[in-house]
Amino acid sequence: MGNVTVKRTSALEGHYLLGHFGDHPDSNIIFDERKDLMLHQIAFWPETVDRIEPRLTGLVGKNSLPKPGKSIVEGEIALLRIEPLKIWIIGASPPQFKTDESVKLDISHSRTHLRVSGVDAKKLLNSYLPIDLRESSFPIGSVISSAFHHVGVTLWRTEAGYELFLPRGFALSLWELLLEGAAQFGYDVITNQ
Amino acid sequence: MTSQRLTSGGCINRDKTINFTWDGRKMSGHPGDTLASALMANNEQLVGRSFKYHRARGIMSAGVEESGAIVTLGEGAKRDSNIKATTQELYDELSAYGQNAWPNVRFDFGSISNLFSRFLSAGFYYKTFMGLPPFEWGRGTGMWMLYEKFIRGAAGMGKASHAPDPDSYEHGHIFCDVLIVGSGPAGLSAATKVSEAGLDVLLIEQDFNIGGDYLNQSVPPPQFTELLSKIKKAGVRIMTRTTAFGLYDYATSGLLERVTDHIAKPSPNLPRHRFWTVRSKFIILATGALERHFAFGSNDLPGIMTATAAKTFLHRFGVLSGKEIIISTNNDSAYDISIDLSNAGASVELLDARHELPHKPSNMAKDAGVNITPSCAALKAYGSRSISKLGTATFNGTHWTKNETKPCDLVLISGGWNPVINLISQRGSKALWDSQSCCFLPGDTNEPIQVAGSAIGIWDISKCEISGEAAGITAIKTLGKPYPKITNPESGGWSKPIFPLYEVKLPEKRQKSFVDFQHDVTSDDIRLAHQEGFISVEHLKRYTTLGMATDQGKVGNVIGIALMAEALETSIEGFGTTKFRPPYTPISLGALSGRNTKNHFRPLRRTPMDSWNLNHNASMIDAGLWRRPWFFPRDGETIAEAYIREASTVRNSVGLCDVTSLGKIAVQGPDATEFLNRIYTNPFAKLPVGKARYGIMLRDDGIVMDDGTTWRLGQDNYFMTTTTANAAKVMVWLEELLQIRWPDLRVHVTSVSEQWAGCAVAGPLSRKVLQATTESPDLVSDQNLPFMGVMETKLKNSIPCRIARISFSGEMASEVYVPSDYGPCMMDLLWQAAKSFGGCLYGLEALGTLRIEKGHVTGAELDGRTTLEDAGLGKMASPNKDFVGNVLRKRPAMMEPDRARLIGIFPENLKDTFNAGAILCNANEISGHGEGWITAVTYSPIFGHWIGLGFISGGHEKWLGKNAIAADPTRNKNINVKIVSPNMYDPEGEKHYG
Repeated sequence: MGNVTVKRTSALEGHYLLGHFGDHPDSNIIFDERKDLMLHQIAFWPETVDRIEPRLTGLVGKNSLPKPGKSIVEGEIALLRIEPLKIWIIGASPPQFKTDESVKLDISHSRTHLRVSGVDAKKLLNSYLPIDLRESSFPIGSVISSAFHHVGVTLWRTEAGYELFLPRGFALSLWELLLEGAAQFGYDVITNQ
Repeated sequence: MTSQRLTSGGCINRDKTINFTWDGRKMSGHPGDTLASALMANNEQLVGRSFKYHRARGIMSAGVEESGAIVTLGEGAKRDSNIKATTQELYDELSAYGQNAWPNVRFDFGSISNLFSRFLSAGFYYKTFMGLPPFEWGRGTGMWMLYEKFIRGAAGMGKASHAPDPDSYEHGHIFCDVLIVGSGPAGLSAATKVSEAGLDVLLIEQDFNIGGDYLNQSVPPPQFTELLSKIKKAGVRIMTRTTAFGLYDYATSGLLERVTDHIAKPSPNLPRHRFWTVRSKFIILATGALERHFAFGSNDLPGIMTATAAKTFLHRFGVLSGKEIIISTNNDSAYDISIDLSNAGASVELLDARHELPHKPSNMAKDAGVNITPSCAALKAYGSRSISKLGTATFNGTHWTKNETKPCDLVLISGGWNPVINLISQRGSKALWDSQSCCFLPGDTNEPIQVAGSAIGIWDISKCEISGEAAGITAIKTLGKPYPKITNPESGGWSKPIFPLYEVKLPEKRQKSFVDFQHDVTSDDIRLAHQEGFISVEHLKRYTTLGMATDQGKVGNVIGIALMAEALETSIEGFGTTKFRPPYTPISLGALSGRNTKNHFRPLRRTPMDSWNLNHNASMIDAGLWRRPWFFPRDGETIAEAYIREASTVRNSVGLCDVTSLGKIAVQGPDATEFLNRIYTNPFAKLPVGKARYGIMLRDDGIVMDDGTTWRLGQDNYFMTTTTANAAKVMVWLEELLQIRWPDLRVHVTSVSEQWAGCAVAGPLSRKVLQATTESPDLVSDQNLPFMGVMETKLKNSIPCRIARISFSGEMASEVYVPSDYGPCMMDLLWQAAKSFGGCLYGLEALGTLRIEKGHVTGAELDGRTTLEDAGLGKMASPNKDFVGNVLRKRPAMMEPDRARLIGIFPENLKDTFNAGAILCNANEISGHGEGWITAVTYSPIFGHWIGLGFISGGHEKWLGKNAIAADPTRNKNINVKIVSPNMYDPEGEKHYG
């Protein structure tokens, strides 16, 4: 899709207002929409894991795939094992595989990628997500699927914060809920793009 | 009662003053006060009216068990009723009112009902007004329906505001290793032990201060400070103003945190309450015990409270509750209190129902100036609006005899203690009666829950601390950490056993003695229930309403149970108790809904073109969770004018419709074709790449589950579309089939509904629109893209797209899909072209018109009862392969020729209209369920009159030449209709083939 000459329209377009908001002068929560998400899914079968592993891990310079619920990051590229037999590749095109080894899907437009960070990010997320976000249970590199206001979402923890992948159609509705909940803490909406 | 604030003592901040109003009168208190302590400090005695008899009520306790000081707070939309003054933290500008009284609690006209209280016993209203003799003998409840609202209006527990709730509420999730409920001696000791073992502890306390019974001591013991320091150092998470209202499976708990109920002007961004779901590995319940009353004459007068309440008011709030105090007890715990009150300057007399006094406590009390009378108890309270004297009785070993009457301004009752076993009882732990301590104790549980402290009947603070440590060690052991050994102390702790005392009355004398203060249940009501045969504990509860008020029988249940056991001449353990259910204390409805209200009652699902549609004047409608364009009015058009214009435009030129909401599933893998062949009724094995096929899938029972088209994009790569309504259901169904039934198939299914934005381009000029918007117009020629043809190409600006020549409208049409973020760009391109050809945007209403004209089915027809044959699609069942539902669809009843089949419907008089939902009847027999029903109707611009789809027995062939009636009894409308083929428009399909 590299040749496309028009910009992508975010699901939060017109509703992503930059600035500081809420009760506290401090930025206890920071929202950062990661636009132009590049996301591919590789799905495989138990008997083909060994065959796809070297080519997938080659993207991030490692020897083995992340365990289910874990991720590997190298620079701007990440592999997220969202299910035992499904890997998400962020930030790179997938390598070529034979169709009896694995199948791939471009799902770059299916999710709104929102980074939530700050000292109260965990509190805010636990207002909506029934996930144990304690360090012992959800350390950096963890990835999990859960329900946010009855909507299936994916949460990934990185050095930079919590990366939320919201289904695009629900993204604005969930964004509104996040802002409602965040106002009590004080939050910034920023963009790095 | 003459209560007063002392000049020193208590955990209040005398340097600051809080101003508040009570029934419109200005008063003051201090930070650290509850509303009850502040009212008491202002010598306010009469603060409530009872539920049924409107009797004067005062403050009866100092905690959640309060039954008298139940008040209304706030104004307007913020008004909240049934607040216990004993738990409400005082804040500046708080306004509180007495409730269930007119004009106010001091002068309540409703109190006239007390004069007739003799007649208003349990069951009075039902007995009197249901089947009212002689008017309704044996004829039901008609007059009850008339009287009920007046009866209910006379009783009550305050009035809620009718205005929308201005507050917000929030849900939250907490995870921890060990949840400890209660921060008294046992809870703090447990928290210390568990946290020192390196476990993650959450300690919750319903009060706004932690400490529990430590706070009620004249001098906080040093271990209190030590424990506090240890748990803070160990990083224990502490939540005050938080009540554990329910325990659920797998050590899951429900908590209610009161976030702003103590703040005068909270930030609008703060939720008022938070509803927490806590998932822990172990729970320690250090929930304490509640002191109970016993029944005696007029025991509800203001100026009568529990003994421990007076202690709390004295030591925690610096309020001396009375000057001439009589304490009536049956156990040791009141002795300390008598000494403290005497030392605070009150004249104190202690009546102990026991013949033998506890040696050491009684000597200490006597030394403090307390006058003690053994074998004596309160018999009857006197006074009009507060107590002025107390009649006493002496126990002679078999019954009570009247003794002297003594002046007093405060009577404190200590009838024993009820361990708070509500939470453990919710987990199915059977409450066991302990006749030594005269209380119910928690039974065994197999769950990771431990009860500690006075909640298991330990009455000594130091033993409660050991009990808490022991519970903590059990938690540590259960969670696999090294643990020291400790011996759990036994329950009890009094030097002389408690005397079982539930009611004091003279033989053969009647008096109004209350058992359940909140619901005005008297001891006579209990005996009446017995006389009338309501002798099961469950029947007793429902007949008398014992324990059904907001306190849920925290204090009164044991007394009621004891009285019924006595009437039945059985033991309390033999009679048993009811099971506690959540919530332990009331929780707000707002907390249950959290932020899932108003716009967020359900998550709103927007298509990528949502803003684009709105900017083009779409009127929107919710379709499931999706928001979709309903119609696009021009120049003040009504919906009818708009959809008729839109449908006509599609038939004549071209229209665009946002169809993103259709479910989209990627079906991939070497066995994808075989998989599709199994789930669809029609064959997919030979579908070429670049072609789409309409398919129907059945449930196991042979009923149609869903329909849609599936596009073959590659040898092992399919793009399945489903109906909007069934997208999630189909996805789950496919996963279930792959994971459970056919794990050998190498297929992956992935929802790509969110990845693709879709637009239907429908109408005879649709191809021109495609040609004007694609980068290679020749590619979308009729030859390259025939009916059911599929291609992946590019729109202008190199936007990648998928196009399929499929039609829901019956016209030549295509569905165009682009990656969602390009949805608005796609619409700009398509609309620019369509507009130039005189086209229009159309919404769901016109979509419905077009599909009804064509006879295409939707969820209205595929409603979970329809077979392939019913829908007229029997030919789609392949005889050459097996598929899900193929066996059971052939059951005789499913294949009966007289089953209701899909039909089209015309009115006989073409000017008539008819409604969806109408029943189709034989013209000679308009009754019962008729012969069929109407599922969808519309005005058809093509036909120039109303048409409909529906089902009728035998299908349209059977009804040729027969008259039918669309009977609509609820709308009082019967219309003569003609039954026609459902394929009303272009039955040969010439239009959509193009």
